[in-house]
Amino acid sequence: MAEETLLTDDFLRQLINVGEVDILVGLPTHNNAKTIEPVIRTIQAGILKCFPRERVVIINADGGSVDGTPERVTSASIDDVWNASKVYALRTLHSVSTQYAPSPEPGAALRTILAAADLLRAKACVVVSPDSTTIEPDWLQRLVRPVYNDNFDMVSPIYRRQKFDGALMRNLLYPMTRAIYGRRILEPYASEFAISGRLATDFLANEIWNNDWSRTGAEICLTITAMAGKYRGCQAFLGTKAQPNRGARDLLAAMRQTVGVLFSSLDNNFPIWSAIAGSEPVPTIGAQSEVVLEPARVDRKRLKEMFATGVAELEPIFRSILSPSTLSELQRIASLDVNDFNYPADVWAKTVFEFAASHHKSVISRDHIVQALVPLFRGRALTFLLENRERSGEDIEKSVESLCGEFERLKPYLLEVWADRK
Amino acid sequence: MPLERQSGWYKDAIIYQIHVRTFNDSNGDGIGDFQGLAQRLDYVQELGVSAIWLMPFFPSPLRDDGYDISDYRSIHPNYGTLEDFKIFLESAHDRGIRVIVELVANHTSDQHPWFLESRSSQDNPKRGWYVWADTDTKYRGTRIIFIDTEMSNWAWDPISKSYYWHRFFSHQPDLNYDNPAVREEMWNVMKFWLELGVDGFRLDAVPYLIERDGTSCENLPETHEVIRELRKKVDEQFPGAMLLAEANQWPADLRPYFGNGDEFHMAFHFPLMPRMFMGLRLEDRKPITEIMQQTPEIPASCQWCLFLRNHDELTLEMVTDIERDYMYDIYARDKTMRLNLGIRRRLAPLLDNDRRRIELMNGMLMSLPGTPIIYYGDEIGMGDNIYLGDRNGVRTPMQWSGGWNGGFSIADPERLYSPPILNPVYGYQAVNVLSQKRTEHSLLSWMKHLIQIRRSSAVFGSGSIEFLHPANHRILVYVRQLGKETFLIVNNLSSAAQAVELDLRRYKGNILIEMFGKNVFPRVGDLPYLLTMGPYQFYWFRLRRI
Amino acid sequence: MREIIVAELTQASQELARGFAHYLPRMIVMLIIAFVGWVLAYLFKVLVRSILRLTRFSKLSENSGATQLLKQAALPSSTELLSRFIFWVAWVGFILLGVSVLGIVGLQEYVSRFFLFLPRLFVSLVILFLGLLAASFFSRAVLLAAVNANLRSSRLLSISIRVINSIFSLSMVFEVLGVAEQTMLIAFGIAFGAVMFGLAIAFGIGGKDLAREFLERRLVTGKREEKEDELSPL
Repeated sequence: MAEETLLTDDFLRQLINVGEVDILVGLPTHNNAKTIEPVIRTIQAGILKCFPRERVVIINADGGSVDGTPERVTSASIDDVWNASKVYALRTLHSVSTQYAPSPEPGAALRTILAAADLLRAKACVVVSPDSTTIEPDWLQRLVRPVYNDNFDMVSPIYRRQKFDGALMRNLLYPMTRAIYGRRILEPYASEFAISGRLATDFLANEIWNNDWSRTGAEICLTITAMAGKYRGCQAFLGTKAQPNRGARDLLAAMRQTVGVLFSSLDNNFPIWSAIAGSEPVPTIGAQSEVVLEPARVDRKRLKEMFATGVAELEPIFRSILSPSTLSELQRIASLDVNDFNYPADVWAKTVFEFAASHHKSVISRDHIVQALVPLFRGRALTFLLENRERSGEDIEKSVESLCGEFERLKPYLLEVWADRK
Repeated sequence: MPLERQSGWYKDAIIYQIHVRTFNDSNGDGIGDFQGLAQRLDYVQELGVSAIWLMPFFPSPLRDDGYDISDYRSIHPNYGTLEDFKIFLESAHDRGIRVIVELVANHTSDQHPWFLESRSSQDNPKRGWYVWADTDTKYRGTRIIFIDTEMSNWAWDPISKSYYWHRFFSHQPDLNYDNPAVREEMWNVMKFWLELGVDGFRLDAVPYLIERDGTSCENLPETHEVIRELRKKVDEQFPGAMLLAEANQWPADLRPYFGNGDEFHMAFHFPLMPRMFMGLRLEDRKPITEIMQQTPEIPASCQWCLFLRNHDELTLEMVTDIERDYMYDIYARDKTMRLNLGIRRRLAPLLDNDRRRIELMNGMLMSLPGTPIIYYGDEIGMGDNIYLGDRNGVRTPMQWSGGWNGGFSIADPERLYSPPILNPVYGYQAVNVLSQKRTEHSLLSWMKHLIQIRRSSAVFGSGSIEFLHPANHRILVYVRQLGKETFLIVNNLSSAAQAVELDLRRYKGNILIEMFGKNVFPRVGDLPYLLTMGPYQFYWFRLRRI
Repeated sequence: MREIIVAELTQASQELARGFAHYLPRMIVMLIIAFVGWVLAYLFKVLVRSILRLTRFSKLSENSGATQLLKQAALPSSTELLSRFIFWVAWVGFILLGVSVLGIVGLQEYVSRFFLFLPRLFVSLVILFLGLLAASFFSRAVLLAAVNANLRSSRLLSISIRVINSIFSLSMVFEVLGVAEQTMLIAFGIAFGAVMFGLAIAFGIGGKDLAREFLERRLVTGKREEKEDELSPL
């Protein structure tokens, strides 16, 4: 069993003292001392405001912080020994910290949190990012209530985004997961989300933990499991997200964690997704989405150049991944001027599907396939940028919607290439 | 023969609260009386308690169950005569049981001759004995206590055409303690009873004696002045007599009523009681330890009075709004169970008649610092009748046996002052003294055992308390210590079995002796002392160094 | 004289006949061995071919770039080539085995040398194959990394890696085969040096911007933000 080796004796002892809980708040950290305290205070405020009677515990899974993060977490406990916060709480609110490894390991934090949730029989388990400085007490309620009161299994967030934030999310992850699994979840890879105890237990028993690939992107794996397993999902609007995602700056790492995992998930779930056509919306609490129109300073020329170079230099690789027609289309796009640049939605969708199929067949190393997609994504991001430069938030949503439409329309094409290639 | 009045007797006492009317009817008129009470003293003695607190038994129109007194110097004819009282007092003393009388000093009935005189005209000599005003605008900042029935603290008197002040029901005008004549008269009343031999007074509604404009009219310095004056006279003329304050206040506000040991001997710890119920349902010791931390030190000669339930509603005045909502939702889902800011129910129904929870709560009552009070009937697990008005639901006849009227009276059942409890769970045929006496494991037998253990050591009454804070918040642990005697009390507030590790290194080398079975537990060493506790289980350990 | 000639002839023919009679069974044995060897080698070939097909060897060879190489040289597929190669090695082995039965003195030595050489041949083939595979993998990895790091001459870099890798594995192959060791060592040294020199120059010229960027990033932290991509992907 997973828990046996997962939880240290000391952590286990702490969990015994915590006992059964209704809600478990998970905080994966690594050197977050700067922001952790306000985040915990806000979480506590949220608990005291909306769940004063529930048994709640805050579990911090730490990846070997050296700046005193765990100490800050444990000192935030509200109990009868020392209540530094001077806030009034009906019951004890434990704040427990454990170090799962001396250095951060992808997925291990989530796994520790889920194991604790399973062990403490939490009805709802909510994960909050320790660097969410814009967190408000209400976030907790919006994430937890659907699970705790309305029997949903997963609540994914919707953030108030900047105009060009989350290009990968809007251009690939959302349209692809939506087309594949038929559920319209805007943020399939989120740093804040809530799941039911049932999903936590099921996901913990999942074999993804034995697979390096999926462990890296355990969060998106969780969303996919929820979507593919017909768990009840919904979305909740939270608010502004200051730092949209960890490691967001490193596009390659982000793509490995998300696109790689998404592609891999297609292998096992084929019987499920091949039967799905179209998509259906999931219940959403609060705003459907919100966009802040802030000009983004992006070097368009550079993006274009990186795309063109990629298409030219990686041609031999593309030849084993893409169909000749798609490749020649790409070459045509690469020759366009920055101002006329356009990587159309249908070509993009075909590109992604052909990559997914090649990934499935492992025509070359799977990691190389994901890497090869990076320059092409840059091209798509540039088009997204150019298309929406003058547009309002609503129009951007429309363009994302039409991209999703392309993905859904071309899904039969994916099935075709999936079976076709050797 | 009066019991010798040794000072400090109240510190180790266990008090049994009785209403004469509800206890035993000797003459078959359907109402309990002093002769009947005297007949049942053997039972009270067997129970093991050391004092009886009698609720008001004075002549009264009985519009507030005797808390509206119309004559301070005699007995209500329903309950017998002064002679009956004297006989009862003597036989109680013969059995080593002290008697505490309830004195409602703040107000009288509007039928009291003093008030009748006072209202008769604006220049009557007794006019100044009550608080009169031409308008109802004075003392604006004063809260209304019976919010369910009263709109204002002022009531219009059509006879003398002015307003009189009342903190409780409008038929209970407040006495004016600014008037020296009132203070003198009240002392004479107390002297009357002390000379008869009573051992102490419970003074009702103490914080409200004096009124001043621009204040809340509660806990005023002038009120303390009045109390100090009374206390001085008591100490001079009747040393050993005890004064117990009924003041529903936060611990910090209560502290002044002890003065420097020159005001009350005892005061009720009101905020603790709801928090014990809360801690039990939350399965969390936090509410209890928190309120105990907020409880100030009191002079050595003083003592807190602890109780689980009494004749009033389980008052929720001394809790926050969140806590009150929680208590209502948990303990009084049915709105008829609620009254004013409280829950009008008895102990057993509050705890779902769960024997384990009843035992745990009584165990905590007996082991926390203070003098415990047992409300009559709770020792056998009597139920209540929430369909009777006001607080009468918890004032039904004592259930002595499964026979006629539960052994309370030989009168026709219809004639009883209140219908007895009849339902199959709590009715007198199921819950009564006679049947519980017969079995060794009945609640009554268990209570006797508990009281006996509590009385076996002075630690519980006078010892210090120190809370331990094991990481398992479902376990409430404290150490009581007096001289060389040390007791370790461990309570599991959870409905599930729990493991707890106690840091007892300070007591290294001691062995633990469990007080109920007198069994020996392993010696304390350097390692955390591991205990496993069943649901709602509790241990009282005596620490012994052998 | 005549008698002598006749006698000699008779003797010679007798010896020849004797010798022939002596060799004939060996010859027959040799032929049998050769025939059986052919059959076995053929079976071996079929077996190897099916094993290779089962293990999807073609994909592996495609990955290593060997397939492309063969196509360019108008040779059959790698699976076919390898199984044919196995067939010939096996048959030749059997023929040589048969020849050695003949007991021809000089031949014996060559035959044993051939058999001693066989394992080396296999090892060198494996090395060549793995080397090609590695060369292809690493060159692709470098190409992707370079493209994603937006380096200028990524294609060149990747080809150099492939060349170095290939040369390295070829030199190892020759080393194992023991063919022209000295020549190969020198040739490898020259080729490797040339590639390195070329790379150094390429880096020097092409990488000076990169180096400056790197130094700036290290030393002037304030400037860093502008250089980053401002689109956050997630």
